[in-house]
Amino acid sequence: MKLWVYVLRRLILLLPTLIGLTFLVFALEHLGGTALILAQYIDPHLTGTARQQLVEQLTARFHLNDPVYVQYFYWLAAILQGDWGLSTTIRQPVTTGFLWFMPNTIMLTIVASALTWIISVPIGVYSAARRDSILDQGVRVVTFTLYSMPIFLIGYALFLTLGTGWRILPSQFNIDPILLPTIPRAWFDDTNSVSYPTHILAIDAFLHGDWTIAWNAFLHVILPSVALALALLAGIIRILRASMLEVLEQDYVRLARAKGVPERLVNNFHAKKNALLPTVTSFGYLVSGLFGGAVVIEYIFTFKGIGWWTTFAFLHQDVAVVMGSTLVFGVILVVTTLILDILYAFLDPRIRYE
Amino acid sequence: MATVLEHKARFDELKLSARVFLANKTAVAGLVIFLVFMGDALIVQIAPGVLGVTYPNDVIPPQFTQTNPECDNMPPEPPSLSHPFGTFEYGQQGIGCLDLLQLVMKAIRIDIAIAFFIVLVGAAIGTLLGVVSGYVGKWLDEVLMRVTDVFFSVPFLILALAVGYVIGRTLFNMALALIIIWWPLYARYGRSLTLTTKEATFIESARASGSGRLKIMFRHLLPNVLPPILVQISLDVGTVILIFSTLAFIGFLPSNVLVPELGAIANFGLDLAPLGFWWTVVAPGGVITLFALAVNLMGDGLRDVIDPRRRS
Repeated sequence: MKLWVYVLRRLILLLPTLIGLTFLVFALEHLGGTALILAQYIDPHLTGTARQQLVEQLTARFHLNDPVYVQYFYWLAAILQGDWGLSTTIRQPVTTGFLWFMPNTIMLTIVASALTWIISVPIGVYSAARRDSILDQGVRVVTFTLYSMPIFLIGYALFLTLGTGWRILPSQFNIDPILLPTIPRAWFDDTNSVSYPTHILAIDAFLHGDWTIAWNAFLHVILPSVALALALLAGIIRILRASMLEVLEQDYVRLARAKGVPERLVNNFHAKKNALLPTVTSFGYLVSGLFGGAVVIEYIFTFKGIGWWTTFAFLHQDVAVVMGSTLVFGVILVVTTLILDILYAFLDPRIRYE
Repeated sequence: MATVLEHKARFDELKLSARVFLANKTAVAGLVIFLVFMGDALIVQIAPGVLGVTYPNDVIPPQFTQTNPECDNMPPEPPSLSHPFGTFEYGQQGIGCLDLLQLVMKAIRIDIAIAFFIVLVGAAIGTLLGVVSGYVGKWLDEVLMRVTDVFFSVPFLILALAVGYVIGRTLFNMALALIIIWWPLYARYGRSLTLTTKEATFIESARASGSGRLKIMFRHLLPNVLPPILVQISLDVGTVILIFSTLAFIGFLPSNVLVPELGAIANFGLDLAPLGFWWTVVAPGGVITLFALAVNLMGDGLRDVIDPRRRS
């Protein structure tokens, strides 16, 4: 199978998943009844006929008296046109909230996955190469323990020690509140009030040449991303170690050794590359874990990304946000899994024939 | 005579399994810790007085403030001989000297009960659907797999939040939300096991001798699919505890609902821990870790027993 045929097939398979995802979110949103959907638009202090009128208006606007399947298409049309409802927690359209918070989450997840990769690859490879040595045993004990830890404990332990305890790294918010007034208004867009060009304050400040703000914002990313990386490390190291052990048994590795290739070269050149390949499939697990973990980690560190916003919305009855981020996370996860699958097929042509 | 031989063969098989499991020291350690937890849950269920636990379903015993006026606004005490896990103080009312060890012992019973409930119900639904779709195949299989794809496409914590938002924030609904997330895993696993088993000769011979679809699925396929599913269940009990305690930690249960659940207890400690009372979060978190660790160790041993290639 040619690569583009494979890509096309995967793209076609993507459609039912995406449609199913919209079914799921629609069903969840409408299972709770009309009151749940309208809650975001109605001021709870409003009573009497004024409230009645508003309810009728909104019912007509969202076609809530039509059959469910008709409602679904109206709902889908609204979603596709970018009308995701109003958030009661930020008093803005949900889409604006995504603009504010999503870049922070992306920054956090990118730094965390880079950290995970940088730490787990050498440890996994080394631990498999020196199988059953003291170091390998130590790695296994540590990864097993990390693997069994709830993510909130990992995050909170870092928060308590490096953060509030020894005050080595900032552990709350995306930037020190003291610095907030010093951020120039000129960086921000007037309509959406996000900073430009990248929407990520740390990078924008860097591009504008303000080192104090850039450095401070960057420091705030470290602790959450280390926590997130620690939560994901264990799984990746375990997969990598198992895969490396398998590769080291292969004939071509034995041949390389027999030829007299130094052990270090065998490990890093012959074995490592092939051992890394299967771990690409576990990236799906990594991405899912990243976003799921980001919810908890952002909540602990009050790091204002989508995860923090989703929990905040959940705790403050903000239905549009909870449903909106379910959809957004779903779409992101589906698309990243697709990209990774294609990447894997590109790297390892055997996959395409399965 | 034949049955006696059969029994002996089965007994030998069991003995071998037990030997393989017992040879794995860490797995045995995991089993022992697991049994301690189960023992705690059982004792709290049957005779809580033995462990000195009172009111196993309440975080704060009724009339606690009236009978213990000195505990008003009492700050948490660090771990000591009389309170091995320390004490904590609950919320705005400032009810102090609540013993964390006692609370944890109560919580273990509830946590284990929920974990088994979620995994068993999820596994039952998922395995049934998986076996049927794997055996029947065709469009049914296709539809079911696309449905599981949808459930896998949302990070489970977020899906659990969304489901919980709709059906309401109670302990039972938290379990329900996790069942909704859990069954697709078993549907996939049950299906893939069915696909490999249904090619076996004994299924073919059953079909040749005129067994109906239902009989083949439930009499022949299901018993052969179950052992690996059971191992998966035992592993998942550890994972599911991690997930729902995390859900409880980020505040799935409303703050006026006081349930002795490990994640919820850690959530109570959120305001206290940054003030230096670290044990209010670390103690319940550590107990969860220990349980999950024990289950994972045990599961590794069980996998060796099930997988003949790893027997040696």
